[in-house]
Parts: sequence; structure tokens; C-alpha cells
Amino acid sequence: MMSFDVLFNQFLSGIARAALLFLVASGLSLTFGVLRVLNFSHGSLYMLGAFVTYSVWKVLLIPVVGFYIATILASLIMGLIGILIEFFLLRRLYARGWPEQLLATYAIVLIITDIVKWGWGGEFLSIPRPPPFKGAVFLFGFPFPSYNFFVILLGLILVIVLWWLVYKTRLGDIIRAAAHDREMVSALGIPIPWLFTWIFVLGSIIAGLSGAVTAPFGSIALGMDIEIIVECFAVVVIGGMGSLPGTLLGSFIVGQVYAFGIMFKPELALAFIFMVMAAVLIIRPWGIFGRPER
Amino acid sequence: MKNRSWLKKNGWLILLIVGFLIAPFVISKFYITILCEAMVMSLFALSFNLLFGYMGQLSFGQAAFYGLGGYAVAMLMTKLQFNFWLSLVAGVGLASLVGLIVGYFCVRLRGIYFAVLTLAFGQLIFVIIFKWHDFTGGDDGIQGVFPPEYLKSIEAYYYLIFFVFALSTLVLWRLVNSPFGQTLKAMRENSERTEFLGIHIARYQLIAFVIAAAFAGLAGAIWVPFYRSVAPSYLTWIKSGEPVMAAILGGPNVFLGPVLGMFIMTFIHAYILGFTHFWPIIMGTIILIIIFVLPGGILGFAKEKLKEKRDIQNQEQVGRRSG
Repeated sequence: MMSFDVLFNQFLSGIARAALLFLVASGLSLTFGVLRVLNFSHGSLYMLGAFVTYSVWKVLLIPVVGFYIATILASLIMGLIGILIEFFLLRRLYARGWPEQLLATYAIVLIITDIVKWGWGGEFLSIPRPPPFKGAVFLFGFPFPSYNFFVILLGLILVIVLWWLVYKTRLGDIIRAAAHDREMVSALGIPIPWLFTWIFVLGSIIAGLSGAVTAPFGSIALGMDIEIIVECFAVVVIGGMGSLPGTLLGSFIVGQVYAFGIMFKPELALAFIFMVMAAVLIIRPWGIFGRPER
Repeated sequence: MKNRSWLKKNGWLILLIVGFLIAPFVISKFYITILCEAMVMSLFALSFNLLFGYMGQLSFGQAAFYGLGGYAVAMLMTKLQFNFWLSLVAGVGLASLVGLIVGYFCVRLRGIYFAVLTLAFGQLIFVIIFKWHDFTGGDDGIQGVFPPEYLKSIEAYYYLIFFVFALSTLVLWRLVNSPFGQTLKAMRENSERTEFLGIHIARYQLIAFVIAAAFAGLAGAIWVPFYRSVAPSYLTWIKSGEPVMAAILGGPNVFLGPVLGMFIMTFIHAYILGFTHFWPIIMGTIILIIIFVLPGGILGFAKEKLKEKRDIQNQEQVGRRSG
């Protein structure tokens, strides 16, 4: 029989994974909620964010705060790239069908893949965990990386910030209204194109930030974009696309299923996630917090 | 008279078939191989476009069925010494069966949701094959898949692929022009009205999904013995993206659009690999150019221009008659 401490350890690593997933998926979900564009390239900005963080960190080589400075810089750079993508590509496609929008972001995935391959080569890179999160915390006698607590904390901060932004500010009122009825918001004199640009930029910054904090987790490598985006799709499909509480719940479910799946049968941990997703879709095709859309 | 107009209308098709039949006597082995790849991938793209161009749903997981067809053939032939032809049938069968299960969930959704769900299921199947090392060989794939002796030469296998490709294209052509195909198009244009006509949408879409999976499986099954091996990369979403690109490049609303797109892509790919490995960035750029400059794809654009020309001619005739 599994003892409590083993299960608790698994639960905690599930929470850490959920926090990371929420970091990435919240940006994806926010963009979808307002722009109604499913951004395939979100995972690519996440990957690029991790690589840029590595390079900035390497160039700076400032002790203690070097990683944090690199993280902030990488996030801002991803925000700039977000402006370019929205302004030069997506903006011209809002009047067209969703397949074109999806394909445009897919094209960006292909382009960023090659830019990363060209700029950094195909090797695995890594960043040591930054202080003060270098060591391990012992819980019930098990070592637990303290960096995980940093990621969990960051996830919590992002939940609160996004919640405040979406539900407590005027911009949040506009965001929710635009997600509901874009034309009506436009008729009220609110410049929709600029709202879209800023939301996309915010999503890109979140992608860059999450890529940066992933860097000390494991290796930075080509292919991490596809890996994360597919899991994020699972998160938002389970929780409901465009819903903040849905993304939170979806991240929690996917993180836990993955953590316990690994304990049960490591090869099939990812498969379990998709099985849960299929189960949710049978009962609620729009996700737990989602709303039907034609 | 009637005969002559038929010849005039379909002459290009006969020329094309004759061209394909004599190609092995004219071109080098390298180009025969490229032609084989182009035909197999075209069949794959046609299967995808049954869903995209005709049913109006974008599947981003079509490579799963392509790969399943290939894996079924490779495993049956190398592990069980199965008969080649029976393995092909089994490959199509496995792809259809999995298509039935996956499709059952996917046809409940539309639009972006359909795309995401097909992508997720495709990735699920990829992960299972990739991680199940003991059974599928994992990331090593399976090597040494040989066709029977009489099909071992490139030329012989070329004719097999051409036969399968031509026959499948004909079947799909008949299918999209049948009442079934018309129903799919009706669902694409207005699913509510179609439903009011008493048509069970989910059932029709599921049938289309299974047919598409079967043809994708056939493409994978016929390719693997030619290539002598199979690998998990056959099931990735990058592979699933290829028929999507081919369809928008050639034109999703014209039956042979994806075929033209895939031939262009395969030949550019073969040419470009000679001096660079940066294939994705070229493909991404082509997609963006097509989306912005040539919506509707090459054949879609040509068809529109042809129609405009005909309209002008008709108007001139009408004008002359009344004047």
C-alpha cells in the first residue's frame, strides 16, 4: 500500500507542474478569450523565451540576480515579438475565417523553430537554479526542490494578477465585454484593434515569462514548444477555452494526472491526460467552464 | 461530336496518365522516388481534404492515421512475417478502426475545437507509439520492411503506388460527387439547415472521418515497404501540418488542389534539401504568402480567373445577340 508521504510528494510535484502549466496556458487562454484566435505559436514564444533567457543570463553572468534580470528581459522581448506578430500578421486576418488565423500562427511556429535552430543549434542547454532556490526542502523526509515552490508562488501571483485584471479593472470590464460581444464594445467607442494588440502582447509576455522560469527546471531544447502547447491545449480544452477559472482547474487536473500517472506507469503519463480530456469532452464538449460557440 | 468534346475536356487527364505510365522509362531513379513520395503524400492530402475542403473541418491529427497504417504494415511484416497484401489491408483496417474511435469524439465539435481535439488525439497516438519501446521500437522505429520479391525494384513499386493512387483518387472523386459528398458540402455551408432536412450530421461526419482515416492509413501502409522503414516522426503534428499546407497551397475547394500542392511541396523539398536543412522556415513563409496573396490556393485562383473570363465572354455574346 502506498504510504501517505509518497502520495503527498507526488501531489506536490503535481502542483508544481500545474503551476507551470497555468503560467503557459493562461496566456493562451487569455488571447483566445478576447481575440478568438487560437495561438499555435504561443508555445514557440515560450521556447524562444527560454533560449533568450539562457543567452542573456550567459552574457550577463551577474551572480544571484542574473537569472531574474534575464527573465524580465526575455519576457519583454517576447512582448515586442508579440507586437510584430499581431500588428503585421493577425490584424490583417480578423476578417477572414479561423482556419487562416490558425494557419498563420502555425506558420510562425515553423519559422521560430528554424530561428532557434539557426541561432542556438540543436544542443540541450541548461541554467542552474537561481539563488535562493538552489537547495531542497524536506517534507516528510523527502527532498523537494525549493525552486518548485518559486514556480508555484509565481503561478499564484499570476492567478491573482490576472484575476484582478480581468474582474476588478476597467480594462477587465472591456476584456470580458469584448469576449462576449465584440461589435457592441466597438460601438461604445473602444478601439478594438488596440485592445487586441495589447492582449496579444500580454499573452506573449506571459509566454516568455513561463519559458524563462522553465529554463532552470530541466533542459532547454528544440521541441519543447510542441510538448508544452499540446499539454496546454489539453488544459484549456478540459477547463474551457478562454475561461480563467477553467484554465486554473484544467492546469490542476492535468498536473495531478501527470504526477500520479508517472508513478503508475511512466510511459503512459501523457496518455492518461488525453484520456481525462476525452472523458471531460463526452460529458461537457465545451470544457468545464467553457461556453458553447458556433 | 460529343466524343470530341469529351476528349477536349479530359485530354489533359489522359496525357497525365500516359505521362505517369512512361515516366520510369524517361526519368532517373532519383526522380522516380520523388514521384512516388509525391503520389503517396498526395493521397494523404486528399484524405485530409475530404474533411477540410468538403466537410469544412480542419483536422490537425491526420498524420496519426498515416502513421498507424505504416506501423501496422511494418509490425505485421517484420514480427509476424505476414503477407504483404494482407498487411496493407490490415493497415487500412487499423487506421479505420482508430478513426472510428477518435472520430466518435471529434465529430461532436466544430471549428477550432475540432482542430484542437484531432491534434490532441493525434499526439496521444504519437506518444503511445513513441514511448512504448518494447512493442513499437520507440524512437528507433522499425527497419527492414521489405516488399515481396516482384515489387523490390523501384520501377515495379512505382507502378503499384501509381495504381493505388489513381484508383483511390477515382474513388474519392466519385465519393465527393455522390449524394454523400453533396451532403458533406451542405453541412459545411449550413449545418443547421442540413439538420432540419433530417440529416444526422454527426453520423455523416463520422463516416467521412473514418473514410479519411482509411485513405490516410492506406497512404502510410503503401509508403512504408517502399521506404523500408517507419519511425514515430510519421505521426507528429508537423506531419499532420503537411496536408494542411498542401491543401491551402493548391486550393482546398478544388478536388485536385491538395495534389498539386503536395507535388509542388515534395519537389521543392527534394530540391532544397540539397543545400539547406532549414525547410520549416521556407514552408512557414510560403504559408504566409499564400494566405495573404493567394487566398483560395493556386487552383482556386486559376478557377476564379477562368470563371471571370467565361463570364465576360458570355456577356459579350449576349450583348452581340441583343444588339
